[in-house]
Amino acid sequence: MPMPAVSASSSEATDGRIAFEIRDVSKRYPGVQALDSVSLTGYAGQVLAICGANGAGKSTLARLLAGMEQPSAGDIAVTGYDGPLRNPSAAVDAGILLIHQEPVIVDDFTVAQNVLLQNISSAGSRRPWNHVSPRRQLTASRAALAAVGLGRLDPATPCRNIGPGVRQMIAMSRTQVVPHRVLLLDEATASATEEYFEDIRAVVQRECAAGVSVVFVSHRMPEVFAIADRIAVLRDGRLIGVVRTEETTPDEVIAMMIGRAMSAARRPAGPVGDAGPVLEVAGLSSGSATDIGFAVRPGEVLGLYGLIGAGRSSVLRAISGNQGRTAGSVRVRGTEVHIANPRDGIRAGIVYLTEHRAREGYIKDFTNTENLTLSALGKFSRFGVIMRGREQKRVAELMRAFDVKGTRRTLTDTLSGGNVQKICIAKWLETQPDIVLLDEPTKGIDIGARQRIYEAIASVAASGKGVVVVTSEAEEALMICTRILVLKGGRVAAELAPESASTDDLIRISLGGAAA
Amino acid sequence: MTDVRAAEDAERGRDGSEMPAAGPAASWRAVTGWMGEHYSIFILALMIVVGSLTSSAFLGERNLQNLGLQTSIYGFVTLAEFIVVLTRGIDISVGSVVGLSGALAAGLFSGSNVYLALLIGIAVGAAVGIVNGYLVAFRGLESFIVTLGMLSLARGLVYVYTQGVPRSPHAADFSNVANTYILGVPVEFLIWVVLIIVVSFVTRRTVFGRRVYAVGSNIDAARASGIPVRNTLFLVYLIAGALSGLGGFLLAAQIGVGTPTAGNLYELTAIAGVVIGGTRLAGGKGNVFNTVVGTLIFGVINDLLVLLNVSTYETEAVSGGLIIAVIFLASLHVPSWRSRLTRKKEAG
Repeated sequence: MPMPAVSASSSEATDGRIAFEIRDVSKRYPGVQALDSVSLTGYAGQVLAICGANGAGKSTLARLLAGMEQPSAGDIAVTGYDGPLRNPSAAVDAGILLIHQEPVIVDDFTVAQNVLLQNISSAGSRRPWNHVSPRRQLTASRAALAAVGLGRLDPATPCRNIGPGVRQMIAMSRTQVVPHRVLLLDEATASATEEYFEDIRAVVQRECAAGVSVVFVSHRMPEVFAIADRIAVLRDGRLIGVVRTEETTPDEVIAMMIGRAMSAARRPAGPVGDAGPVLEVAGLSSGSATDIGFAVRPGEVLGLYGLIGAGRSSVLRAISGNQGRTAGSVRVRGTEVHIANPRDGIRAGIVYLTEHRAREGYIKDFTNTENLTLSALGKFSRFGVIMRGREQKRVAELMRAFDVKGTRRTLTDTLSGGNVQKICIAKWLETQPDIVLLDEPTKGIDIGARQRIYEAIASVAASGKGVVVVTSEAEEALMICTRILVLKGGRVAAELAPESASTDDLIRISLGGAAA
Repeated sequence: MTDVRAAEDAERGRDGSEMPAAGPAASWRAVTGWMGEHYSIFILALMIVVGSLTSSAFLGERNLQNLGLQTSIYGFVTLAEFIVVLTRGIDISVGSVVGLSGALAAGLFSGSNVYLALLIGIAVGAAVGIVNGYLVAFRGLESFIVTLGMLSLARGLVYVYTQGVPRSPHAADFSNVANTYILGVPVEFLIWVVLIIVVSFVTRRTVFGRRVYAVGSNIDAARASGIPVRNTLFLVYLIAGALSGLGGFLLAAQIGVGTPTAGNLYELTAIAGVVIGGTRLAGGKGNVFNTVVGTLIFGVINDLLVLLNVSTYETEAVSGGLIIAVIFLASLHVPSWRSRLTRKKEAG
């Protein structure tokens, strides 16, 4: 529900009315300069993308704009609102609507209550006589949901069991009921899979037409280029530049983000030699996956692409013993193996890189050394006593080989996501597995570090191991896999060769369309 | 947090010297960090000063021997508690185990072999540990509830076995171990020292120790990393039981009889000692050295209460109050929480 336009006085020839101005804003945290005198202007009816690697300051900028934090220097002026954005409530009054990566959805509320969540707390409705009756909630939210492509979702459904993509779209539907002049999308497309992107784009286009200034914080290049009019690039807290989308290319923006040009990832060569499959899975059912079968040959990188909930993770977790299975068999180099827990999996030569790094990927209180050797302690011990010299020597080699920041004694928890992921991968390779299962290996990892993860995957495959990668990014699947299975509703919907498939093919099949 | 971590690294046998900043500021930070991490030493020093000022007998040889005897019993129990807390568990049955193993060791001792009595004590403790460990590790029950039941069950069994009357051993050499001194140092104290070294080695240098820390810090990550989580937990409770059992035998040897109330409320002292030693109740962090300091603090407190003739009616209240006071003192060194919060935010 865009706010009525403020009688515009300052109109520019090319960009139109100014919606907000960020003037020389700096933000210091103890020991870190998160933002260093950044100036940006948002225009009504336009989309401004803010790009940057992790830690570049884009989330800080979003938090400042949403009133969640105060700048250390400089100020933010929103047209039509007097005074600073002292707190989130002030930002709401100023007409800034924030939609965050982790949508604010109350599990115990219904869809309708969640759509209208901000209307409950915003100024006008704090008074009890402004109570919105349940019936009016239903009608209002139904219209809002229809506008974001969720017309078939019953507003009376409790939100508890709703998946992440739909949650994000419920948050998006608030654009229809919350008055605003600035729409701030903070990585809002990250937790939804690509299936909802078209809906989000449609919403953004309508918002622009209504004169709303849209800020799109993201590091996903295809989405940025599909949606933005201008792109502001941040690096290390500084504004590197603002470019018009039609005058630049993704490679150029990435180079601005990471400070160097990125080399194209090379796809692994494919099967090594003509040995039989290293991993054979037949009739596997577990969680949402049903009757999955495939084989992986040494040197292959098999991609499992699909929507969240299509059963991709279930397949990997069941194979590696992280999750039970109801049916199916797993063979390693032709021999059937029985894996009841991850320990069995490691013994059988199967390792699983989790998608939930913080929860089960590494030990927070452990140093890099301890985390790197955790799964292969047998190699570094005699009679149960750890041989420190051997351990330290090997860890030094691994840290160099995987280019991990910090020292052997650094707590892994203090490293960035990319470095943690490298440690997790190195930890698993240290067990000398035959089969490496990777679940969203680049999730939450910034664009510079991704390259290294891709290189690591390629070299693992080249060393003759079988690799299976689960990914939600069609582009990534096409780039690093030698073969791709598209999963839909827990079953294999298609098998594609990356040379002849496009991202559209993957997305269409995962949504239920026919293979091209 | 950096300074605290640096100090912690140093304590766990890795120096934090690879921290980026150098110069006087860094070394000052290292010093304050070390002090922050070892605040318990200062509390101990304070207790000793208070002790020597308030009682002339405190630093006398007799009292120090007494202190050694007393503290070593607490010491076994606190070591047991320490490894359980490392795994994010808690064992409140340790005091009852001390009572049960002491009473059975005294009651079943026929006079032929003291080592047999020692073995009985340890075996009884281990048996209780096996029950606790099975329920916690393999049945996934809360350690608090399991050991709460065991606290009552084991103590109840002591009363049933002794009928409330102290059980005398059949021969006087039962108490030999408690009356033996090497160079004026009680043997029981030396046994404790040996066990400190053993537990320290096991937690720091062995695969098992690494697993204990991993399980305590993040049980899901430990399981996913292929660590035998259940076996590790089971073994921890078994060891804790055996340590408490040993403490029970040695306490009975000191007293000369198996007293039904022996070890009463030891769990309180043990948990307090572990906490004041900086071991995190949420698991995965802590070291033996600080736990020993924690034990000594409460050993000194209990000793002083006797020396200062605090009446038995008041002892319990005073001792509990002191525990709260000391833990409050320990909490004063944690300004790091604030900075940790802000650091977390900026990382996100």
